[in-house]
Amino acid sequence: MSLEVLIALLGWGTLVGVDLVSLPQMMIARPLVAGTVAGAILGDLDAGLKLGVIFELLQYDILPVGAVRYPEYGPATVAAVATAHGAAGALGLGLGAVVGLVTGLLGGITMHLMRRINSRIVGAATAALESGDPRVLVRLHVGGLLRDFLRAAVVTALGLAVAWFVPPHVTGVLTPRGATVMAGAAVAAALAAGAAGTLRLVGRGPNLAWFAAGLGGGVVVAIWLR
Amino acid sequence: MAAVTPRFGRALLRLFAVQGSYNYERMLGLGVGVAEEPLLRGLPAEGSASPYRAAVARGAHFFNAHPYLAGLAVGAAARAEHDGAPAELVERLRAALCGPLGSIGDRLVWAGWLPLLSGLALAAISLGAGWTAAVAFLVVYNIGHVALRAWALREGWKHGVRVASALNNPILQRGAVLAGPAMACAVGVALPLTAQFLASSFGGWGRAVIAAAAGAGFLGLYLLPGRLTGLRLGLGFAALALVAGWIWQ
Repeated sequence: MSLEVLIALLGWGTLVGVDLVSLPQMMIARPLVAGTVAGAILGDLDAGLKLGVIFELLQYDILPVGAVRYPEYGPATVAAVATAHGAAGALGLGLGAVVGLVTGLLGGITMHLMRRINSRIVGAATAALESGDPRVLVRLHVGGLLRDFLRAAVVTALGLAVAWFVPPHVTGVLTPRGATVMAGAAVAAALAAGAAGTLRLVGRGPNLAWFAAGLGGGVVVAIWLR
Repeated sequence: MAAVTPRFGRALLRLFAVQGSYNYERMLGLGVGVAEEPLLRGLPAEGSASPYRAAVARGAHFFNAHPYLAGLAVGAAARAEHDGAPAELVERLRAALCGPLGSIGDRLVWAGWLPLLSGLALAAISLGAGWTAAVAFLVVYNIGHVALRAWALREGWKHGVRVASALNNPILQRGAVLAGPAMACAVGVALPLTAQFLASSFGGWGRAVIAAAAGAGFLGLYLLPGRLTGLRLGLGFAALALVAGWIWQ
């Protein structure tokens, strides 16, 4: 991985991390998009699409309502694709998914910490905010944005560091069978999370029939295309 | 309205960063205050206790709703301030909008528009559309996203304290009703196709093991919501796979 590619991935991962909550929520943070672009940057679209699909399915497990805590899969997908590119084949898919999951966990923790830091800063500035000075308000808000920018950059950098460090050390340790098992585990977890998350969204009401109809149609198309 | 247009544009742009300072103290409050501020500029601003400063302070109080629909509260509160509504009424208006805007936005966007398009994109990628599916997802999603943000701010500004009538907009109501079935159907189609796409590089036995593991994982996730998450399942499966791979050399 050249320095230019690494910088491009760091920049992309940071934008993706900021997009999730802060700015502009245009859904480049969705793993499908984050992974595809990361794959294009690395010249490995296949890895980008496959890991994008895996983490997109995992994303279905999350409904970002209220102040709920959840893992951050955008920068995680970027790190996952970088890992997969560094370790080809089945090893890439499984190892990429593991690096992505750990990065996603880290991203979720940092988001929670940042919100607590924001709360303290806002709490300390209550009197200034109540004065109605717009400069204070804008300064506090921009401060929050910058902190999220920094957070996203740090999470992406850590994910990319793992992506750069891990594959050469694991390639000799894990057998091809072991790599295949790990890739299969990642695919199974993603499918389970996608199905369970969707079913929770669908509920037990009339939408369940639509889900069943779609599922049936999908199975027919999948069999027809085999 | 014409004199307000540049301020309206500024408020709309600021709404894209409405969650920029998200915190557990005021939630979206600061972002809503920042977005509302350009619309308040016509108010008398002389002195430290001016209507403008009082309105800016109120605008930054606690607020929580769906970010795409927050503009409705921003526009309505700003309009109410210009109409000389009492401070208590503006506060009550903001508080009353939190629940409905959160509920409609979550149903329409997080549980409708977003997973619907994501499901279609997943299906398209699985059928070989490649990167164009991701681009199409981004373009189509954001047509709805930007339109919703702009509509919300415009309607809020138009209706002021009577903004509740905007929530009865037939397109919004119909959209919220249709989004659920459409999403359910699209993701239903996508799941078997993505399963085939992801499992295509595995042999027959491998696919059977993946199906069994996915089934067990699904049951765990569905029966233990909150305790077992996708992330925990993924990390647990990876740990098991490492052990299995080490034994099965």
